[in-house]
Amino acid sequence: MATTTRLSATRRRLLQGAGGAALAAGLAAPAIAQGGPRVARVWGEPGPYGGVFVQGMNEWAQRNNANIRFEVEQIPWDGVTVKLTTDLAARRPPALISVESPIAYQLAAEGLLEPVDDVNTAIRAKERLVDGFTLEQFGGWKGTNYAVPVHHQPCLLIVQQDIINELGLGNPAEWNWDRFADAAKAISEKKPGMAGYTMALGRNLCADYHITQLIWQAGGMTWDPAAGFRTVFDSPATVEAFEFIRRINAYMPRAAVEFSFLQVVDQHVTGRTGMSAYWGRTMGRAAEEAPAIFQHMEYYLNPAHPRTGGRWSWTDINGWIIPARDNPFIREVKEAVAYVSNSVEWMVRYSQSLMPNVGPVFKDVASAPAMRAHPFYQSKKRTLDVIFEQSVPHACNTGLELKKGVNPLAGFAHGRSVWAQAVQRMILNNESPKAAVEWGHRQFEAIRRDNQRLLAG
Amino acid sequence: MRFRLSDRQVGILFMLPFLITAATFIVWPVAEAIRLAFYQYNPLRPHDQFWVGLDNFERILDDPLFWESFHQALVWTGWSILFQTVLGVGMAMLLHTALPGIAVFRGLLLFPYIVPTVVIALNWRWIFNSEIGIVNHALLRLGVISENIAWLATPDMAMASAIVLNVWKYTPFVIICVLARLQTIPTELYDAAKVDGAGAMRRFLDITLPMLKEVLVVVIVFRTIWTFNKFEEIYLLTRGGPGTSTFNLAVYAFEEGMANLRLGVAAATGVIMIVLLLVGTIVYVRVSGFGREEKPA
Repeated sequence: MATTTRLSATRRRLLQGAGGAALAAGLAAPAIAQGGPRVARVWGEPGPYGGVFVQGMNEWAQRNNANIRFEVEQIPWDGVTVKLTTDLAARRPPALISVESPIAYQLAAEGLLEPVDDVNTAIRAKERLVDGFTLEQFGGWKGTNYAVPVHHQPCLLIVQQDIINELGLGNPAEWNWDRFADAAKAISEKKPGMAGYTMALGRNLCADYHITQLIWQAGGMTWDPAAGFRTVFDSPATVEAFEFIRRINAYMPRAAVEFSFLQVVDQHVTGRTGMSAYWGRTMGRAAEEAPAIFQHMEYYLNPAHPRTGGRWSWTDINGWIIPARDNPFIREVKEAVAYVSNSVEWMVRYSQSLMPNVGPVFKDVASAPAMRAHPFYQSKKRTLDVIFEQSVPHACNTGLELKKGVNPLAGFAHGRSVWAQAVQRMILNNESPKAAVEWGHRQFEAIRRDNQRLLAG
Repeated sequence: MRFRLSDRQVGILFMLPFLITAATFIVWPVAEAIRLAFYQYNPLRPHDQFWVGLDNFERILDDPLFWESFHQALVWTGWSILFQTVLGVGMAMLLHTALPGIAVFRGLLLFPYIVPTVVIALNWRWIFNSEIGIVNHALLRLGVISENIAWLATPDMAMASAIVLNVWKYTPFVIICVLARLQTIPTELYDAAKVDGAGAMRRFLDITLPMLKEVLVVVIVFRTIWTFNKFEEIYLLTRGGPGTSTFNLAVYAFEEGMANLRLGVAAATGVIMIVLLLVGTIVYVRVSGFGREEKPA
């Protein structure tokens, strides 16, 4: 009995003590929190460049005693939507986001973004933009701009020039689809253990990008902004692109149907493919890990379609966007972004942090002596010119098809990888190209129907 | 005057953390999911929610992908549970022998169960990688295959790979449960059976299996519920692909919620899963006779 009483007394003291401690901690928390700088989260893509930009923003914060600290969070390309939806639902969005442009277009149409025309005016973005780009392409919707230009990344044809020369396959700059397919065939037949060509065909964002640029080259589109966003996916041009994918799939690794971004780069920098479709990162990885591959690596504009001559490239026309709701940092973010964007020095550091993946979008940055001092300009000048300049006239993306206007629907379709799924139906389920395209058309039409409110604005 | 709690109040206070936790993390989410199932809710616009009645359920039941996912969920769950049970019972019996160092083996068995799923799934992606994976490398070196197998790139192989991963990770759970029960079976029963001339198979069928019945019912019910609801293994290993060939209902719900931004439809899928599992569990427990008293002869 005595033991029980003692135990009860101890429990009571424990409860009272714990309650007191919790109360004290609760009362002290606001005072502790007030002491340090406020933290503003900035989302960047995987890679160091977001971090470099944020360093510049923190320089602004220090010089202006803003009592704010910007912290970068790296979000994978295909994870932005999921993270953003959960953070918005929790009413705790990041202060600033750098995302693939179709997502920017979607969010702008949703009315979730802060207009940034004031920032673009402050940095003279319109005058400074590299020829071929317009402000609207970075994130405009119904006459208002929601994105501050930051970089561009084109998806191009990457070849191992030594193999092309050894097999006598000609000049890739002059290839059309047929000569390109013949080259892929020749490599896969004459180089044992090596694929002729590698592109992503998995159920993912990368495959969507690779597939759509072929559709555009053939003259096809998914939705037509000029015709009230009508779904036009089931055109003969799309079917032709699917047939071409089936043709070149014979010269790709068997596992290409599960490949995404990383696997395509891996395939190339480990010497298991003679050619691939990718952005600048493949060259950067090769320079870091495989000097022999890097030495012979060259980028070319995508092979031209025999009829249309189209060489369209899925290009990330990337800008900074600012969530409008539940974002207490809008004023500070705008000032900090303007500060960094106006600094050629910071923007050169930004571009050079992951060469040649992050193409400069401002003329003064692209031509800056510091930019041109990068070693790649000595070893790979032709390729850099293709990536940074020659690709620009061929730049569009799933939210800006054939440069015929911004459409906000692509983000939804990427969420489900509809383009990739349609191609997988053809490759895995042996559906005819026409049937696979018709399946895709139904999905895209459903997306358009479900999101009419966005189009109506 | 000194503040003093009665023993009853102290008891309630000690239960409060559990009650609050259960209410916050179990009861409220389930209730919220059921509520959401009747609303249209786009997570990009958390302020806008509209009552849609049974529309979300209609949409799901009209969607061929839901039925495809349901069928695949049955395949995924059925094969996983079958292999886990058979292997689990077999290995538990092997481990139920008095050998030197057997305790070390029993401890090691828990390893797959302890390692986080994300680590395992990402490792298995590399192991199954058709270009540089160790499985293909080993099979090629041994001369078993002449060209790489695309483990995760064909629908059947991807499903089989996901099942193998699930079986590898969760069979130890079955082994531990079964082993614990095996150790409580009186050895006199086996001695008596031997005296009566029963062979090993007869002893297994007439003594071991009936003795394991109750624990197996519990293990199978729990493993079925957990496997049917499993999301992270499939998503991390195959992302539901190639195509949608490894979608189960959890992946389907995720896609509806996060990719299509239809949280109401995702919640309705969750409600359907709850109902399916509830009905399945009741039927199974009834059929298996779990908890029924043995009638005296």
